[in-house]
Amino acid sequence: MALLETNDLTKEFGGLTALNGVEIAVQEGELVSLIGPNGAGKSTLINTITGRLTPTRGTVTYAGNDLVGMEPFEIAQLGVGRTFQTASILPELSVRENVQVAAFAAEHGSFRINFLSRRDSFDEVQELTDDILATIGLGEKAGMEAASLPYGDKRRLEVAIGLATDPDLLFMDEPTAGMSPTETEMTVDLIENLLSEWGMTIFLVEHDMDIVFDISDRIFTLHQGELIAKGTPDEIRDHPAVREAYLGGEGE
Amino acid sequence: MSTDNLQTDVEDESSLISVDAWDRIKHTERFIFMVSVAFVLTFSYLFSRAPVVSDVTQGYHGLTITILIWSIFALGFNLLLGQTGLLSFGHAMFFGTASYATALFSIHVFNEPLLIVVVGVLSALALGVVAAVILLRLHTVYFAIVALAIGQFLYFLASNPLEGITQGINGLEVERTPLLGMVDLEHEYGGILGELVVNNLYLFVGAFFVGAVVFITRVRKSPYGLIFKAIRENETRASFVGLDVWRYKFAAFLLSAGITGLAGALLAVNTQFAGVERLYWSISGDVVVMAVLGGLGTLAGPVIGTFVWFYFKGIVNGYPMLGNYWLLMLAVSFTAVVWVYPDGIWGMITDFTAELREPRNLAEKVKGRLTGGSAAEGSDGGER
Repeated sequence: MALLETNDLTKEFGGLTALNGVEIAVQEGELVSLIGPNGAGKSTLINTITGRLTPTRGTVTYAGNDLVGMEPFEIAQLGVGRTFQTASILPELSVRENVQVAAFAAEHGSFRINFLSRRDSFDEVQELTDDILATIGLGEKAGMEAASLPYGDKRRLEVAIGLATDPDLLFMDEPTAGMSPTETEMTVDLIENLLSEWGMTIFLVEHDMDIVFDISDRIFTLHQGELIAKGTPDEIRDHPAVREAYLGGEGE
Repeated sequence: MSTDNLQTDVEDESSLISVDAWDRIKHTERFIFMVSVAFVLTFSYLFSRAPVVSDVTQGYHGLTITILIWSIFALGFNLLLGQTGLLSFGHAMFFGTASYATALFSIHVFNEPLLIVVVGVLSALALGVVAAVILLRLHTVYFAIVALAIGQFLYFLASNPLEGITQGINGLEVERTPLLGMVDLEHEYGGILGELVVNNLYLFVGAFFVGAVVFITRVRKSPYGLIFKAIRENETRASFVGLDVWRYKFAAFLLSAGITGLAGALLAVNTQFAGVERLYWSISGDVVVMAVLGGLGTLAGPVIGTFVWFYFKGIVNGYPMLGNYWLLMLAVSFTAVVWVYPDGIWGMITDFTAELREPRNLAEKVKGRLTGGSAAEGSDGGER
């Protein structure tokens, strides 16, 4: 059974159909990528699945749970994490605190009455935070204010926050956008590490076609709100509809 | 920074260790507790009776009690605005309601200072639950304005339709009774204790002040303190990491309402009075000014802001001629401080001490200011 499944997922904004009957299925442990030209509805699809938007019709099922109508925090608590396209960090908090907030949510659930116990007495939260910071390579900058990080580091912190929620399924919205080649390489290594070591399932939205065709198990192609192709990287590369709609005459 | 050479490194190391230790100590709960106790024990003396110092400040004992109470109010308000990022323009509702509840309970049920203060706090919490359900669906300016509207609604409710209960503008009297039936709050001490705290009423209020500071410190160090800040910084992100933002905001709102209620109840005990003006919107505005002037999101800030505010209202106000313009002067100083230091007076102080730690940077800064930009350019040219 698929871990995540959408059925006839449709989202209309007034007269505009941003998503039209999208049906995807993601198996556990897979890395699937979503590609499509600008405005194809990629972000709308992620936002609709993770609860930021409510679909006009259709269903989203994750591990047997119907996600439609759930609050974002409830979906996150089920084990669906996400990173944002623009670094959506907590600017005035330290790097460590940024990760810690997510670690508290992961270890303690959506709400807990503990306003009289000190943060540093929660060992499991501190361990998770240290783990994530080490994994992502921000350990040395843990004490810095998040707003003062260089752009590439902010993007990595964004990924770190997503990881600290301890998801089983992680949506990554263009994680390498704005990164230097070295940072991009590190991120790709990280993604592969998440799949093999952490046993995560990853749903990637990415503009860098080299990365997409290199690491994906399967690729979904979205065009004008409709899913026009799905398959392995080889199948997608040779798919006529994809070539026409996306890769087109101008190449990559 | 990278040009630091070895010679100065040796000297820096010893001073660095002490600075680090100080940084650790000053954030511990025990230190904050001791500082707040020391503050309460010396505040009245320094402000109103100490030689030289009090000649300059021209303070008096009664004002120190008022300042302690309003500091609790400002600290409670700051927990919501500074920590969680919710600006309420209606906090007078908790202040005034707690005052009334305290007075009404003392008149109609039982009059014991500790008990009526607890009743005041509970009444503010109860109102907080109702107000939160209405307000927490709103954001930013809508939140602020509807909070103001609820506050004004209660003000008019208390002044007219409920006049039979509240006595309208005449207000209610709270009789002074002994604490726990034994300790006379009016009792004045002699000797050193008398010099420091004067009477039991000051100690009573001071104990609540220390309690409020310790409580808020613990909340700030708890997971809540961090999550409140996360909500202030980026509410969307907080919900997408799996936090039930509404419930945490609800918690912040109740904590703030309860602490504000404590201040309102203490004021009723202190002044032996509860009146409708404590629900009035200008009270909500005053506390915003106090918190912002002192420094949002800190512990010391709201207390300093409250002190400055009452210094103008209680002392500068009494100056011949000049006194008539106390509010204007307060407004001008407020604008000037917040213009230059958005983090308020406490932000100004921490900025200054941070610069003192880097004497070389400070020296360069001063030199730069004295010689101006052209001199710097000239020396650049000279090197070439």
